[in-house]
Amino acid sequence: MLIADCGSSWSKIRNLDDGVTAILPTQQVLRDESLRFDIATGHLGRDRTDRYENELIALARGSLKLIEDDDFTVVDIGSRDTKYVSFHGRKLRKLDWNQKCGASTGFTLELLAQYYGIDFEMLAVADKPIPVTCGIFAIEGIFEAIIKGGPAETALAAFVHGIALNVYNFAQRPKALFVSGGLCANRCFLDSLYRYCEVIPLGRNVLLEGLTE
Amino acid sequence: MPRRKFIGYLGCPPRIKMESVGRKHPYDEFIDLDVDMNAPPSGLVPDAYCQIVTNVVDNAVHLKKDLRLIIASVGEDKCDGGRFAALILRDLGFPIVEVRNTETEPQPVMISTSRLPLLEKVNRIMDTVRTPRKKAFRQVKPTHGFWGVPPHDLSLLERFPNTTHVYGWIRCVEAEVPADLELERFVDAGIPTVFYAQTFCQKNVLARYLAEKYDGLYIDCDGPLTNSVIAKVEAFIRMG
Repeated sequence: MLIADCGSSWSKIRNLDDGVTAILPTQQVLRDESLRFDIATGHLGRDRTDRYENELIALARGSLKLIEDDDFTVVDIGSRDTKYVSFHGRKLRKLDWNQKCGASTGFTLELLAQYYGIDFEMLAVADKPIPVTCGIFAIEGIFEAIIKGGPAETALAAFVHGIALNVYNFAQRPKALFVSGGLCANRCFLDSLYRYCEVIPLGRNVLLEGLTE
Repeated sequence: MPRRKFIGYLGCPPRIKMESVGRKHPYDEFIDLDVDMNAPPSGLVPDAYCQIVTNVVDNAVHLKKDLRLIIASVGEDKCDGGRFAALILRDLGFPIVEVRNTETEPQPVMISTSRLPLLEKVNRIMDTVRTPRKKAFRQVKPTHGFWGVPPHDLSLLERFPNTTHVYGWIRCVEAEVPADLELERFVDAGIPTVFYAQTFCQKNVLARYLAEKYDGLYIDCDGPLTNSVIAKVEAFIRMG
């Protein structure tokens, strides 16, 4: 039995028979037209399954499976969007999904890191954030900083800090924030976010967890 | 027999004005200019603007030769956008009758709290602007609430169960007091409610504030429904 979370850039695919999870570029998954899933979530999973689950519900259910607290907030940062769910007494209290302002930030981050050859594991946290209204505005801010003579590393670290601040505000400024998605592997992002709240990374498979009982 | 034409209106004009215009033009048909009619863009409205007011202008320009006149709500019962739309349309040569609905005595509501599907509730309520409600409806206890104005993309309303009660401006329309801010703010506390406003509408601040106050879900939408809005509403209804 195959389940999948097909995001805009990356697809997380789990074979429930052997428990193995693979993470593949979504473009590669889309090229294989024969590949179908028993259950799927994510923007691009809808056409590949007869049992589609909406991403917020997958995030909410996956979070309840992975977190024992009664009150908690989880944010999932994807390539294209950011979403969060907040629980009180393990009952859903707040949720939101941002596809407009603050959108495409994960994608922009990946793009810029490749372009400048920057490893986020080694990147020091910037003291000040670049305002991140959206990916496009952020690129403008980064290029502006570089044109003024600053190193690309500093500009990118400020951008990462900007994303972290945006995420914190978007999730309603909780004391502790559980983080889901690819940015869990981004040390610079987690350290930037840590300046605002306690940070608990959950990894990339939270939505997958929410697809099964 | 005179040529049959449309009498356009926006917002919720006073009943007395609708009736007097209806008597004067008995063969004409009322048409709600707020509603999406697939009219081509008039090019008169900025891209980033309230879709409902955009509908008003685009519909009027599209229907121009078939419109006898436009009854334009321009008071607190509508919005500045309605007032400016009326001004522009008058400038373009449309016969405009400006009205302000200042009714303060709320009539009892029955459709808002009925067990009809939400889309039908909203359509029937908006129909009462031209034709007063005569029928009675079976009532239902609310499991959910929908607060706000009729969305540009009405398919949003199909996502809700029939046990959804209507609040906000739509309820004010049914009560015939579209400028009654006290009624507009009313919701049943404890009922999971979606607070909706059209993107770029001033009501967003109220929707957001009330959603925060009542632990509801605040959403805004511009044109057609987006994947994220659908997902938020679905998740809120299923898990809230």
